[in-house]
Amino acid sequence: MASGHVITGAAIANCLAADTQAVFERAFAGAEAFVPAGEFAEFPFATVVGLMPKLDGDIDVSCTPTRVAKIAFASARQLQPAVRGAIERWGPARVGYVFASSTGGLEQTERHLDPRRGGTSGARVCYADHSIDATVPAIARTFGIAGICSAVSTACSSSFKALATATRLIDRDLADAVIVGSADSLCRTTVFGFHSLGLLAPTATRPFSRDRAGITLGEGSAYVVLERSSTRAVASALARVRGLGAATDAFHHTSPHPEGIGGQRCMREALHRAQLEPQHIDCISAHGTGTTLNDASEAAAIERVFARRVPVMATKSATGHTLGSAGLTALVLAIESLRRQELAPTLRLTPLDTALGVDVVDRRTAAPLRHIVVNAFGFGGSNASVVVSQP
Amino acid sequence: MTIAQLEIARASFFSTHHACAADVVAQRTRTVTQPTYPLLVARARRFTSLVTQLHMEVCGAVVSDEPMPAVFATCHGEIQTAETLIADLFASTVVSSARFALSVHNTAGGLYSVATSSTEPTTTMTGGNAVAAGWLEAALIALETGRPTLLSIADEPVPAVFRGPETTVGVGAAFVLAPSTNPVFELSIEPSRADSHMAPDTVVTLARLVQLVEGGAAATVSLGAIRQGHQLELRRRGDA
Repeated sequence: MASGHVITGAAIANCLAADTQAVFERAFAGAEAFVPAGEFAEFPFATVVGLMPKLDGDIDVSCTPTRVAKIAFASARQLQPAVRGAIERWGPARVGYVFASSTGGLEQTERHLDPRRGGTSGARVCYADHSIDATVPAIARTFGIAGICSAVSTACSSSFKALATATRLIDRDLADAVIVGSADSLCRTTVFGFHSLGLLAPTATRPFSRDRAGITLGEGSAYVVLERSSTRAVASALARVRGLGAATDAFHHTSPHPEGIGGQRCMREALHRAQLEPQHIDCISAHGTGTTLNDASEAAAIERVFARRVPVMATKSATGHTLGSAGLTALVLAIESLRRQELAPTLRLTPLDTALGVDVVDRRTAAPLRHIVVNAFGFGGSNASVVVSQP
Repeated sequence: MTIAQLEIARASFFSTHHACAADVVAQRTRTVTQPTYPLLVARARRFTSLVTQLHMEVCGAVVSDEPMPAVFATCHGEIQTAETLIADLFASTVVSSARFALSVHNTAGGLYSVATSSTEPTTTMTGGNAVAAGWLEAALIALETGRPTLLSIADEPVPAVFRGPETTVGVGAAFVLAPSTNPVFELSIEPSRADSHMAPDTVVTLARLVQLVEGGAAATVSLGAIRQGHQLELRRRGDA
């Protein structure tokens, strides 16, 4: 869809910091934030994780007391001024909310069933805390919005699918502004699961490096206010969503297509809908998970879509892979890149895997940035790309 | 408020406890029957959950050679797989890689795209209002693309370990919908009725929807809450 809708608010929280500005400072400074996984839970294998700081105590989530709720509120509460502005412009019934997550309250379910924490087969888990949309009513109430609410879950592309849903609501005049939010927490099932697939890095992830050995899982949330372009909205705009594209690989449930056909198709579609050509793109924020196959597949897709070398950044090297929140997390960082006119560094890149044929930027780099393509690819061959531009 | 005027070309229904949609409404049950989901080849069937099997069953009944965008909707997602993974984890600190791979809410979407060799986008709506959200998403995609769009809705019973919805029925329904200039169906947002604070029973809602599509009489089916004080409805105008 060709959007042109503007983003009038953005917030982010993850292992780098629980505060948006602090996340930006640390991400662009190349700060290291991963910790041994043992700080979260015990695992019989080596890995590191991106753990949210200061999660307990300062966030009121009495409505649904889950870790993912705390993570979601960590970003959502920062967005309140922008949401208030949207409500003033359009009215509460014209402001919607689309939430995305991959695991939802799975961590809470684990806690309830953990025999070491007193969980037993007779102790029933609150279903509402487990579900993906557990936080939706509470956050909608907190924001004071009364528009259409829904939840999306398509693994690691979830938050971009949610952004697409929000765009359709505005395009069809069912809303004038939509809060798009995403959150995922670490949980043991996810860590063990990615390890079982051989996708978990034993040390901090090294996207696009010759020595890359897999994913570092992180937790976090990201929220944006997507708003119909209007004089007043544009005055508050941080960026413009020019185009979104989506496609599936139709190849394998967890392995990417070797040539990234789904990635190619969704990047081309996003460009088409943005009415831009590949040469207009100044930077690509890659999905860049750090697995051998994912990075090779994405690099192949980038190489085929863009005839020239475009600078690439892989922000999961700093934030970890935040699963359902990965797309919006990268998008919010891309918006900050547009504001700063700087690319964030990709950490631990050296030595770059030159066979991949992509130019990954390993240091904070000043550059004229007007349009950035951001990718989010996931299980099920579910791919989505967004073109985000200066407002 | 009318959102979309639609054609619904095909519909299918499967319930583990009912032979057809009419039997749900008539409260006639059958011997519990599992889906056969021929859409998936043998090697893709291992570890698939009931909800994914239900999606594949009903999609297989309506799918054509024409690739189309697809919307999957499920209130509970892969909840049985999640419970099994956690139980395995606490029993042996090992999880099955195959089962974990199929634990995401978009498992059905991924397997469907591989089975049909379709690179068209898929998405998965979930949560308490997944039926309404799925219909809305599918209708908006059909309007946006001007093309037929597949909508598949399915849910499996929530495991007993959860304190929540209690049903033993697995149910699925699929629809192929498209925008129309001479529409029979109309999707609209209407003020909620007095009893609509109750979450709609998915089994009954899907059965009524399939009857609405297959029947000829004018009628309306509530799809559940979509925004504060409002619900989504599908209305059939009746055969001319």
